[in-house]
Amino acid sequence: MTTMASEPQPPGGAPRIEHGDEAALVARALAGDRAAFGVLAERYAAPARRVARAVLDDPDDADDAAQDALLAALVKLQQYDPRRPFGPWLMRIVANAATDRRRRRTVRRAEPLDPNATAGGPRPDVRTEQRALAQRLREALAELPERRRVAVVLFDVEGYSHAEIAEILGVAEGTVRSEVFHARRRLRVLLADWKEEDA
Amino acid sequence: MTPELTPFDHRPDAALGAALRRALAPGDDAAFVARVLARFEQARGPTWHGVLARWARAGVAAAALIALVAGYLVGRAPRASAPTVADALIAPPAQAPVVEVVLASVIGNER
Repeated sequence: MTTMASEPQPPGGAPRIEHGDEAALVARALAGDRAAFGVLAERYAAPARRVARAVLDDPDDADDAAQDALLAALVKLQQYDPRRPFGPWLMRIVANAATDRRRRRTVRRAEPLDPNATAGGPRPDVRTEQRALAQRLREALAELPERRRVAVVLFDVEGYSHAEIAEILGVAEGTVRSEVFHARRRLRVLLADWKEEDA
Repeated sequence: MTPELTPFDHRPDAALGAALRRALAPGDDAAFVARVLARFEQARGPTWHGVLARWARAGVAAAALIALVAGYLVGRAPRASAPTVADALIAPPAQAPVVEVVLASVIGNER
């Protein structure tokens, strides 16, 4: 199965990986080819880290979860059905690893707030503005229920379809639509407010 | 940004997606991948050729050490050299050369 033109693509990101190519890489990784696993890890490092960070607010925790997930995926590689796309299968493991880590974590480490993130602070340049917006988006994401924030990241950032996200999260497609809708409504308000402040 | 907002919207929101992508940008992916691969190597444990290579290295090192020690000991050991002709002529005989004297006298008598 190859990527169809009608499938959603991640905005501003790399196009979705060809499935046939992935299946071959997985087969090689299963045969013990370290380089093939390396290619898969390189391709999915960024999405895995972003999805983990959607669950875990601490970037180090998120990286640990993403790493655990990639290694767990390697162990479970024989369970992967090569007729299906690899990405959703891996993202399910990533989301579960991040959720498990969040549940295990007893002390929640808070990321220090960027003083420019608070309204009214000086914003001397675009970079500072972007950092401040990113901080506010992360805070807004953190306020959303976990499934909602993972759903919106998988849909709007990683470009997975509602059906694929339903498979990743193990819920009905309608639930995913609802989660993405509510998450967007909250985040769009924040983005709009930011633009108004900026204007 | 997409103007309408309905649960049936199947298109990703490019503006929101880009902003979220920046917000969740994890940073140095190469370092992360290197860390994952290092953990992968650790988890995989030693391979048979790795074990053999380690044994071979240890064997070569042990053989070299033994050779060095043996060479040193041989070099230090006192040489029990065979006496030269001059030594034999100069040195006083340890005991009376009974047989030689008899033979010499016999030969001398025959001349």
